[in-house]
Amino acid sequence: MNFQDGIAVVLLIAGCFFYLAGTVGLLRFGDVHSRLHALTKADNLGLMLVCAALAVLAADWRISALLALIWLLGLLAATVSAHLIARHARRGWE
Amino acid sequence: MDTAHLVDLLLAVGMVVLALQVVSERAVLRSIILFVVFGLVMALAWTRLQAPDLALAEAAIGAGVTGALMMMAWRRLLIINPDQPADTPRGRSRVAVPVALLAAALVATIGLSALNIDPHANGAGLIALDELTDTSLGNPVTGVLLLFRNLDTLLEMAVLLIALLGARAVSTPAHPNEAAVVETSAPLVGALLAILVPLSILIATHLLLAGTNEPGGAFQAGAVLAAGGVALVLTARLQPGERPGVVTQLAVTAGLLAFVGIGVGIMAFGEKLLVLPGTWAIYVIETAMMVSIGLTLALLFAGAPALVGRPK
Repeated sequence: MNFQDGIAVVLLIAGCFFYLAGTVGLLRFGDVHSRLHALTKADNLGLMLVCAALAVLAADWRISALLALIWLLGLLAATVSAHLIARHARRGWE
Repeated sequence: MDTAHLVDLLLAVGMVVLALQVVSERAVLRSIILFVVFGLVMALAWTRLQAPDLALAEAAIGAGVTGALMMMAWRRLLIINPDQPADTPRGRSRVAVPVALLAAALVATIGLSALNIDPHANGAGLIALDELTDTSLGNPVTGVLLLFRNLDTLLEMAVLLIALLGARAVSTPAHPNEAAVVETSAPLVGALLAILVPLSILIATHLLLAGTNEPGGAFQAGAVLAAGGVALVLTARLQPGERPGVVTQLAVTAGLLAFVGIGVGIMAFGEKLLVLPGTWAIYVIETAMMVSIGLTLALLFAGAPALVGRPK
């Protein structure tokens, strides 16, 4: 295993940890807002770390740019859907 | 067992468990969500089987558009009958176990006999690949869909049109705001649409053009286009209309018209039926098919014969 693989493995493990933490939060937290809080923050970071690991492994600018784009699109979708779910939940209670 | 086999095993077990949950879940909404998850795992399985065209189609049509269609159907059921949530009845049908056993036996028989098939030396696939080198197409899937078996593709377009007509015949007209499920004035919605809709057009065009040489094609592109339309319907930027205008009618039938027009028109030049005259014909037909597929799926989602802009 060379230096490049080592960095990728560390990034992948860190990414998986954040995904695991986000999923545990989604399953264990009590209400909609806490669950969204756990899911969106941890998963966005997890996706970034996994994308970074893949970019390191690919060692190619084009693929790295595409991975960054995937991460940004994931951020966009997660942000807006979490925002809409949270608004809907609050409106439902009032 | 190496890592690749472990991934395959996880996918296979996951698909069976998900499929069981889809059919045994009592709450319809959970069933629909599980079906979408199943579609995504299925797309991963196609990727592992080195069938990226099928993976794209499964993700875009099987998981994406079908999931959205089923959720909209569930919502309309709730609107029609708000007191009675659409849950499956208690208890299992008496034929469930025999049917499941029969299906399992069938799958096992097909799988076991498929294991014993030797690749034929002069199989149709090899001949088709040889013929494909004479054309300018690099993607064998597109070659089969538009050159070798294009009657099938033509009839698929006809089936899609008939499905739309059937849905129009049986469904009650949707209220203008029924399809919109989000607060249309929420601050981030406009920003999301401003990025998402141009992006869906861009990705659809890319899939269409890439389809000649790489994975992609009219069906995947049309589904991505429909996703943009679904986003516009959900946020009430497009609303169900009463009657389709000329543009809608032309766009819905464009794929069929282009296919039949070129395929039959070629006979005037002494060729056989549906022999496409060149790459330009493939581009014209695929573009028309993409527009038709995208609009048909969006119309099915909105449950309306036409889509109109939001009244100012």
